[in-house]
Amino acid sequence: MYELLRGLEMHRITEKEKCDKCFLQRSNALRRRKKAFVRSGSVKRINSVRKNPKKHQEKTKKNILVKEKNEDFRYIQLETKKQKQHKNPLIIPNKSKYATIPWILRWKFRRVHPTCDIRIQQVDGGFFEKFGSLFREQVELTETKEKLEKEKCAKLAAEVIPSKLDYEQEENEILPTVESDSENEGSMVSSDSDLEENKDKNDLIFTALNIEELYAEILYEILHNVGCDVSYEIGQTTLFSYAQDAFKISNDKHNHLLDMAERKEPPELLLNVEIIEAKDLRSKDSNGMSDPFVTLYLNSNNTHRYNTSVKQTTLNPTWEEHFALPIADQNSEDMLILEVWDFDPAETVKEKFGKLFEVKGVKGMRKLVKEIALTATNGQHENELIGIAKIPLKTVPASGMTMWYSLDKKNKVSRQGVLKVRVSFSSEKNNQVAEQELRHMLRIILLHELETSKVAPYWWCGMFSPQANCLLTQHIAQSGLTPTEVSVCQYCVFALIHQSHALSFALFSKLLAGIVKPLQNNQICEDDVKLFWNATKKLLPSCFSIIRKIRKKTSNEKATMKQVTEVLKILNYILQLDLPPNTDLFPLNIYKWKTYTGDGPNCDIFGTINDAVVQGASDWMNYILENNNSRDESDVGRLTYYIQLIQLIKTDIQKSIEYYDKLFQETVNFQYAKSLYIFYQAKVSTLCEPEVTNICKNLKRLTFNGKTSTLMTTEDSKEPLSAGTSLFELYLAVQRFVVLGTGLCPADCDNFHIKNFHQWFHGGVAQWLDIAVYKALQRIEKAVELDKLTQVDNTVKYSSSAVDTLSIFYQVKVFWQQLNWPDVESSYTFIAKIIDDICRCSVFYADQMSAKVDGMGDHENVYEKKFEVTNEWCLAINNIDYVRETLEPFTQDLGMTDIIAKITDLKSPVDAQRCQHTLDNVIANAIDTVRNKIIELLEIVVNKMAPSMKRLLIEGAELCNQDSNSIDRLMMYVDNNLSTLHRELNEENFNRTLSIVWEMLGATLEEIIQCNLDKRRPPSFFDNLHKTLNLMLGSFKSPNDCSNCDALSRTERLLKINGLETNDLIHEVHLEMARNFAKEKESSYGEISVKVKFEGSAIKVEVMNARNLIAMDSNGSCDSFVRIHVLPEHKFSAIDKPKTKTHNKTQFPLYDEAFVINITHEQKAIKDGLILFSVKDKDLLGYNNQYIGEAFLPFSEIPETNKPLSSLPQVHLQLGRPTSLSSDCIRALEHRQGDKLAKEFLKKYKQRMGS
Amino acid sequence: MRSNHKNTLLKVVILGDGGVGKSCLMNRFVSNQFDEHSFHTIGVEFLNKDIDINGDTYTLQIWDTAGQERFKTLRTPFYRGSDICMLTYAINDKSSFKNLQMWKNEFLYYADIKENNQFPFIVIGNKSDITSEREVSQLELETWCNENGITSSIETSAKNASNVQEAFILAVEHWLRIEKRADKNETVYNDTVDLTKKQGEKSSCCIGSSDEN
Ligand SMILES: Nc1nc2c(ncn2[C@@H]2O[C@H](COP(=O)(O)OP(=O)(O)OP(=O)(O)O)[C@@H](O)[C@H]2O)c(=O)[nH]1
Ligand SMILES: [Mg+2]
Repeated sequence: MYELLRGLEMHRITEKEKCDKCFLQRSNALRRRKKAFVRSGSVKRINSVRKNPKKHQEKTKKNILVKEKNEDFRYIQLETKKQKQHKNPLIIPNKSKYATIPWILRWKFRRVHPTCDIRIQQVDGGFFEKFGSLFREQVELTETKEKLEKEKCAKLAAEVIPSKLDYEQEENEILPTVESDSENEGSMVSSDSDLEENKDKNDLIFTALNIEELYAEILYEILHNVGCDVSYEIGQTTLFSYAQDAFKISNDKHNHLLDMAERKEPPELLLNVEIIEAKDLRSKDSNGMSDPFVTLYLNSNNTHRYNTSVKQTTLNPTWEEHFALPIADQNSEDMLILEVWDFDPAETVKEKFGKLFEVKGVKGMRKLVKEIALTATNGQHENELIGIAKIPLKTVPASGMTMWYSLDKKNKVSRQGVLKVRVSFSSEKNNQVAEQELRHMLRIILLHELETSKVAPYWWCGMFSPQANCLLTQHIAQSGLTPTEVSVCQYCVFALIHQSHALSFALFSKLLAGIVKPLQNNQICEDDVKLFWNATKKLLPSCFSIIRKIRKKTSNEKATMKQVTEVLKILNYILQLDLPPNTDLFPLNIYKWKTYTGDGPNCDIFGTINDAVVQGASDWMNYILENNNSRDESDVGRLTYYIQLIQLIKTDIQKSIEYYDKLFQETVNFQYAKSLYIFYQAKVSTLCEPEVTNICKNLKRLTFNGKTSTLMTTEDSKEPLSAGTSLFELYLAVQRFVVLGTGLCPADCDNFHIKNFHQWFHGGVAQWLDIAVYKALQRIEKAVELDKLTQVDNTVKYSSSAVDTLSIFYQVKVFWQQLNWPDVESSYTFIAKIIDDICRCSVFYADQMSAKVDGMGDHENVYEKKFEVTNEWCLAINNIDYVRETLEPFTQDLGMTDIIAKITDLKSPVDAQRCQHTLDNVIANAIDTVRNKIIELLEIVVNKMAPSMKRLLIEGAELCNQDSNSIDRLMMYVDNNLSTLHRELNEENFNRTLSIVWEMLGATLEEIIQCNLDKRRPPSFFDNLHKTLNLMLGSFKSPNDCSNCDALSRTERLLKINGLETNDLIHEVHLEMARNFAKEKESSYGEISVKVKFEGSAIKVEVMNARNLIAMDSNGSCDSFVRIHVLPEHKFSAIDKPKTKTHNKTQFPLYDEAFVINITHEQKAIKDGLILFSVKDKDLLGYNNQYIGEAFLPFSEIPETNKPLSSLPQVHLQLGRPTSLSSDCIRALEHRQGDKLAKEFLKKYKQRMGS
Repeated sequence: MRSNHKNTLLKVVILGDGGVGKSCLMNRFVSNQFDEHSFHTIGVEFLNKDIDINGDTYTLQIWDTAGQERFKTLRTPFYRGSDICMLTYAINDKSSFKNLQMWKNEFLYYADIKENNQFPFIVIGNKSDITSEREVSQLELETWCNENGITSSIETSAKNASNVQEAFILAVEHWLRIEKRADKNETVYNDTVDLTKKQGEKSSCCIGSSDEN
């Protein structure tokens, strides 16, 4: 644990960057750690494979059982074996790879770059890390994931294999001939005839044959082997015994048949000669050319000559003409003689050649040619020999040969040119019979070979043993079958045998390569064409079965690839051919999986390929679906199951892209992966849509109150949590699946049902957002708990939980980005929700933060309780502010502008504007709300400081003039705390704090003043208090701002007033009245006009007149006079108070009296001196003059001049009366109840008011 | 910048059938405007407004939701954490009145509220200006409220601005009543109140000591 903490701190110290960089770093770290996560996951999985060896064993056992039951499935079991071998190395390297990384090391790797504290993740088991970071690391992740999935897939495929047995058996039932074949091996009735759908004339020949006759024929052929290659290598006896083995003939029978064969006439063999071409012939004519032709004959029968046509004027003629020369006896010394002549046209010969076009039929032709040849050899013409070639028959192999021979001429050494000839043997046997025999031989021999050889049929590549080869070659040679005929035979026989012994598809494709051209050119007889198509019909099911079961051999990709390649080649060849009319290439009773619905024969190869591909995928999927025994029926279980299923499907498609797609496209121009995808997307849709929609509809909402701070992971919330989480995982899985489809089929993907998959999940989004908030709140709680309230590093003033909180927000954002929600209207709403949620998280963070620091900095000892502003407090405030600052940039990253633009398109600009407005408001509200929280916290701080500051003020007031270290101590307190705040907080928050402090001081002082006024404190108390306040304000770093605070300046004034002596206070009242009167524009009491000036140390006053005086007497008029006072009274106590004469019964008296009031220079210098003109109504008796009103003229407005008063302008002064008893000064006076002066003044004041 | 005296924040959600005039009510209240041709709300709309009651300022965070059925999944996430819920119908639309029960239930479920009679619901019958087409009488409204234990209801018109301000004030007052009741039960300390108390104690103690000197 300690290690872990240190690691964390280290990280934080190194994190010098500001916010954005910090983000970057974090996302990097995240990426790195994500890897580690995946790795550990894969290790786990491998372990689970290793933990379950029992399962594997069982599987192997099953396979062996199968083997015993059915020989035919040898290859299956072989494959399983292979797979197992394949599998182990797969596990071992992986295991060793992870084993080499010590666990500790990996753990350390984790620690070096923690995003948010690992322990914070532990709160929810890495909830966000699981999905949140997928987005950015998708590439990286998919790589690793794919690997895992492949592995899983291989495992699953291994499970699929046993089920393959079912298919095979099923197919065998469809083709009963195969079974009868193996049962009746002894009595060898042609199974071809069984298969033939329509019996035709060929049948007669086929039924005539039986195995003994065929055997006798073979023996006969052995006895009369032809060609040079036979007897040297393999003796007759070897061949006899091989044939006996292959045909399973008893010795007696063999001897009997051999005897019969020996007694039979030797075969009439023909030597087939094809004169192909000659080159570089010597010229014989004057024109430097020749007109060559070839004469050929056997040495033993030199009268029987054959001639080719004459090629005119060439030295490189091409003939390509065929001749069949009967071989008289077994004269092994016989020779074929070839003579090349230059034709010199004699009339007669020319005439004869002319007849050439008239004769018909081979016999006539031969006759004619013979005649021409005779003429030529008789020398009755002037033909000239170019050269001769001699071929001893014993040099010719049974299978024939093609060679260039150089031409010789007697006595000539020079070269006469070269001649290309093909020589082979043949018999005059019926071709149909010969082919039929060949097919049977092929079948018997091949079955025999397969039985005796140790090689699995699949690996058989067309190579017979030498003996078999010899028998077959002899038969072919002695029957004179052409290579094409042989190929067709082989094709048919192999196709038949393939039904029971899967032969390599390469065999067929190789044969087809030779057959396709002749077929296209109609060079194959009708019967063979029919046979060919029947064979093809037999072959095709297994071809499509390969395509259908493309998945079964996952362990040996190469072999499967090879097989598929060959199958596709076969299909490609078939595609190149014209089908004979009315061929039902894909009978529905065999192709049960076909979707073909048309009437009549079906020859749609592409359709069948597609069906096979889809069927294969469908079988595979059904297998998975059916074998999911341990199915967890809870929502989460089902969802998890679908996630796995989609992953498997995705892997399957990816594999198909990797291995087969190109193959299919290049060979048969078929889009394999696309076809698969189209199938899967429909399947996934039908499977998932109803489930997901249903689960979404019935999701239990998360029960947590967004406001309270206690988050409990109760059992209640667990289920919706995990259901929501799984749902989201499934969403991502489908999303990635859809992305895959967009890449695969860019043109069609819009029509896919799965395209709108998000609609299935619609009801889940709100849940996810709720979960996200829930998790975020949990994490924040943990982050605050773990925060040690120290700066993340020296350059920043916030601590770990702020960084952690931001990274939580970041996770929420990534979560949203990952969702990539396509629907515009809901996207808009969800963004609003996310912003609101983030705001909620911020507020929650602020609350947690303030709860954490609450109680910090409180000191208590026997003498006092004290609060010190600590760095922790400041960090807490900074943290919240840091989070608040990032709110706006955060919201910008949610893709708002994009969404608003889309709403403009989709709905209307007005709607878009309203949405924009709402989002702006939500953001503003969020920021404001968090700011409110900051202020709340600042208030707490200030309020905590309040008691100490209050004490300072009071003590200051009591003890100001005495030396007291208690004041120093308290001054220090304020100073320290404020400078801490100043140092740690940013300017905005510090200023905020100050204004809160001032407000607090204002309120506190008012309280103190009130309290002490009640106690009748002397003015000096308030004066001292005032001084102390100023002292304190001085310790604020920016005292100039304190004037902004109304409360404080008001209390300051209060202090000033209460600190004044009564005389000064009274003057203050007058000054206030002077100010108030000056503001009046009109007065209901009247107005007086005066002229006043200073001259030396005298005030010269002339009272001019008064107007509109208020009527005081019952007669509606008044008898007024004006008295002049100089104030403040106590400073001008010895000065006259002159007055004018009384002017009776007029409201507009003209006084016109001038006065001189002598004062001292000191008195004149009094700044706030006032002249008071008091207008009164003279009482008849003179005792009780009535007060009309008064006017003030401040010294500051009186000019100092030598000019006579008469030259000065009149000053008009409105008369007024005191109005308020609630002014601060009056209230201060009221509090001085023991003060006579104050009492008297107040009494007069009230009289003046009331009159 | 907001003054340093923080306001009480109250989250208000307005619910009711599409077209009963929720958005108009909010706009009338916040910006004193009325739009005759207002569009259906997409998902939610948000505005906030300060309102003074008995000298205290409250900041109402008003979430106006979309009443159309297709927006159900979009609006319900916003119910959580609400302080006040306004159930709205139009007096000329009986079915919107009938749906109040559904709205109330939907709210209680998604807002995750346990004791429903503790929650400040207020029922608003809007469009009171078109009495000629009235389909829901005031008596019916009262009856429904009584049956559902709701004590606050009012008829408003966003069009001619009658009772709109009053409706929101009524809602906050209702909230205050319930809040006070809760305060009494749970003695939840408000920070400011709490601190003033402490201050009071301390100052008297200080003064006491200074008196002795
Ligand atoms: N006569 C009258 N019409 C009103 C009043 N309030 C709203 N309307 C009209 O009713 C219609 C719908 O008002 P909105 O505020 O958009 O309805 P809403 O409840 O927000 O509807 P949704 O957003 O779909 O839930 C508009 O055409 C308004 O002009 C009202 O008090 N009196
Ligand atoms: Mg609306």
